[in-house]
Amino acid sequence: MLQILIQGMLLSGLYALIAVGFTLIFSIGRILNLGYGAYLMLGGYIYFWASQSIGLPKLVAVGMAMIFGVLMGIMKFQLIVKPLKGNHVAIEISTLILAVVLQAGVVFVFGDSSKILLPIVNGVVYVADAPVTYNMLIATVSSWVILLSLYTFIRTTDIGRAMQAVSMDTKGAAICGIEPDRVNMVTWALSGGLGALGGVFFASYTQLAPSMWVGPLIISVAVVIVGGIGSIIGTLIVAHIVGFMEVIVVSVFAPELRGVFTMGLIILVLVLRPQGLFGREEL
Amino acid sequence: MSYLEIKSLSSFYGKAEALSNVSLSVEKGEIIAIVGANGAGKSTLLDSIMGMVKQKGTISFDDKTISGKSTSHIVKQGIGYAPERFSLFPYMSVKDNLLVGAFTAREKTKDNLAQVYSLFPRLAERETQETATQSGGERQMVSLGRALMSSPKLLLVDEPTIGLAPKVCNEIAVSLRRMRDDFGLTVVITEQNANFAMTLAERIYVLEAGKMQIEGTVEELKSDNRLIEAYFGT
Repeated sequence: MLQILIQGMLLSGLYALIAVGFTLIFSIGRILNLGYGAYLMLGGYIYFWASQSIGLPKLVAVGMAMIFGVLMGIMKFQLIVKPLKGNHVAIEISTLILAVVLQAGVVFVFGDSSKILLPIVNGVVYVADAPVTYNMLIATVSSWVILLSLYTFIRTTDIGRAMQAVSMDTKGAAICGIEPDRVNMVTWALSGGLGALGGVFFASYTQLAPSMWVGPLIISVAVVIVGGIGSIIGTLIVAHIVGFMEVIVVSVFAPELRGVFTMGLIILVLVLRPQGLFGREEL
Repeated sequence: MSYLEIKSLSSFYGKAEALSNVSLSVEKGEIIAIVGANGAGKSTLLDSIMGMVKQKGTISFDDKTISGKSTSHIVKQGIGYAPERFSLFPYMSVKDNLLVGAFTAREKTKDNLAQVYSLFPRLAERETQETATQSGGERQMVSLGRALMSSPKLLLVDEPTIGLAPKVCNEIAVSLRRMRDDFGLTVVITEQNANFAMTLAERIYVLEAGKMQIEGTVEELKSDNRLIEAYFGT
């Protein structure tokens, strides 16, 4: 029981970190960035290349992965989202195709086989006889720190309030002197950086593989659909629902079924409560 | 040159022309009203001043050309806008809505907030309430307050009384007059309600099907039944 609690907390923290960049884009632009998983994949590979191929310090490698994610986010916004302004289906399909293209690029550069990512911090601690790797512990703690900082940032700073304003009423934001395009670009940059960081932790939790962008994408989609709104607190809550559900399924039923339940939950919510658990009617 | 000067403005939604060759001038310290029926182009005219609609012609404000400039540039020049249906941020508190309004005038946030609360004490009482749960009159106050937070010199208000009870309409009229008398603002409103427009404004323009039809002081128009004719489209 305690083990389920601990594993659930750890996995949920990781999932919240993975999903938050995705929900941010959804809440600001109502866009499902189906290429979001590519940030995680590239973040993982950049970290692998910097820390394990050329031997840079791990923190520097994490920083490089995040900067790469930020640049990816900005490029995606400038080259896809801005030109396709308002055409959500076209944006979603383009970003999905981009992820497939990037996967091919990763195969070309790093090869098809999966790679083991060394933990960012070595070591294991036993909590009530359950092994908890420092790596996972750090991922969870970082996730909480990042989510709380992001929450504070969005609630209390001018640029954070501008982000909320653009998400709720673009015209209203514009007549306050906010440039929606600039705010959107900041959001895409932030989303890319967070995705890449999530990728480093996710890859060190599982393994590094060119197809690793799909799993996190499904988790992120689940969080947005089940939550129904791109709020940070909502993300945190739903990440815990999905995380705990997976841990319980794995330990009570069978490990093979973990993803199945997540997808089942997506369909169930879409059918029974399309606006999501915490979704609100637009006014 | 007038404080706000619009010359031969035509505005377009795609290829459809919503305003045709409209000219208008507003002097500093005036309250003017643009009167017209639904679909006459009143909101389009205000949106055009804010640089939010594709347009031809020139608009200048305070001796500077603002046509062709970005909305944020126009806000920084000193034009505040309380648009149709308010465009508030529904899940943010009253205070946060006002703070977003201060985006271009952050250094004056404290003074402007005090000014807005003195004008609308009800907003101070409800500063933590989300605007989604507020009445139409309160939302209009938040919308006007938000526009004042950018320290404007000219305030554009789209249909300030639409959907409001007569008592609330009076409150809004009093506050708009105070903005001019106490804070020195120039005010341009649009109205379907010609009576309200005539009690508040000094000069009136009548817009019909995207064209400016009549212009005059309230006294001139009271003795001229063209306003009634034009307004009711006879």
